[in-house]
Amino acid sequence: MTDLIEKLEYFLADRGIYMLALILFAIGVYGMIVCSNYMKKIMCMNMMQVAIIFFFLTFGQKNGATIPVALGDIFSADAYINPVPHALMLTAIVVSLGITGVGLALLMRIKDIYGTIEEKEITGKGGKSK
Amino acid sequence: MPILLLEGVLLLALIAIAVGIILGKNLLSAIIIYCAFSFTAVLLYIVVGAADVAFTEAIIGTISTVYFIIAVKSISKGAKNGRKKD
Amino acid sequence: MEEKKTKRKVALGLLIVVVLVGIGALKVGSFLPTIGALDTPANSNISDYYINHAYEDTHAHNIVTAVLADYRGFDTLFETCVLLLSGIAVLTILSSKEKIAQKSDKEMIEYYRHSTFGSALMDGAFRIVVPVILIYGIYVLFHGEISLGGGFQAGALLACAYLLNRIIPKFDLRKQKAREELGIITAAAGAFFYVITGVLPMIFGGNFLAFGKLPFAASTIAELHADGILMIEIGVTICVAGVIITILEVVLERTNFDD
Repeated sequence: MTDLIEKLEYFLADRGIYMLALILFAIGVYGMIVCSNYMKKIMCMNMMQVAIIFFFLTFGQKNGATIPVALGDIFSADAYINPVPHALMLTAIVVSLGITGVGLALLMRIKDIYGTIEEKEITGKGGKSK
Repeated sequence: MPILLLEGVLLLALIAIAVGIILGKNLLSAIIIYCAFSFTAVLLYIVVGAADVAFTEAIIGTISTVYFIIAVKSISKGAKNGRKKD
Repeated sequence: MEEKKTKRKVALGLLIVVVLVGIGALKVGSFLPTIGALDTPANSNISDYYINHAYEDTHAHNIVTAVLADYRGFDTLFETCVLLLSGIAVLTILSSKEKIAQKSDKEMIEYYRHSTFGSALMDGAFRIVVPVILIYGIYVLFHGEISLGGGFQAGALLACAYLLNRIIPKFDLRKQKAREELGIITAAAGAFFYVITGVLPMIFGGNFLAFGKLPFAASTIAELHADGILMIEIGVTICVAGVIITILEVVLERTNFDD
């Protein structure tokens, strides 16, 4: 049993986590293509963003390290998680809020002009004949 | 690293929630599920060790959920008016 | 029936995508570094310098804040500008359309008397929660160098308090609402404060954002860096809060919660 868990951990560290993150990314892209509702498209875009942010954060992980707040007198590089991806992704998350806001604003303009936010009804392809 | 197992479980939960958003029918329920998605992401970031990022994501997830709900409210209100005109 | 068929098609496509990407990612993952290893490219070169020297350079215990506001201050400046730009974009996109008519005061009072949303429970929760959020936002702003937090989080928290203030309370508790132009002006003032912090050392003989030349009284250069980080975080806080309030006001102006 412990042997199996160890093998599973090795698999996850080697490639399993990357595989799951890429699957999440692919689901986001697929949802952006397939969903006919524009608001769902924006949600799928945010999901994609979470996958990318997590992918970056995995690069900073270290075995047996703690969060990058240097309290006390320990200043060895191996005792703290790599702070550079955190600093980059912190700004990315805040910008994602701006992207969501602009997307929703465009959505409301589309609603004003076309009267709907369903892609099928706007393009007239594959929609139900009303 | 035993923490990787936790990461794997949380990633599987994220994937399940994402499938739920794509296949769900109701828009409002999709927004609520999206709220669950962002809080699962917060847990994931904490497990990875990025406490700052998790803090930010918790607040931003709440605010963007509120944005979505307000927008869907405004859009569905307009739809009702449009139907009256027809 | 038709809808069920398309849904089944979507689910089948999703399954195919997941399986294909999973098989492909197994191959890709073998080229990427093992998670948790200490000698990967990302963990070796410059991050060691940041971790070893962040405290003595900037007097910031939180290394993420030190990297964000000091070592990579230029980066953060333009991220703030992107956020400001998104606020301006929302304002521009939605400004041309007519707004939903606001009710008069009397109608508003009548409406809130009958609505369940502004009930006594929510009001009580509002009175307790909002001051706590405000205090916590200020604490996060000034404590961001030492523990978790920083400008972005503080701004979002302050905007969160404003958001609750806008949505929850009864009419007689509700303050005069801020206009969205005021929000964007506030955001621009925050970004301007950031730029001023950058320009100030240039007057006294340093480079842009070189906090060592700030004209404040301090015994060491590291304390000057701490002052500079605090100023930058105040600017970022004001900008983030302003942008969030702007987007909220613009979207809320076209919505009413009657039904």
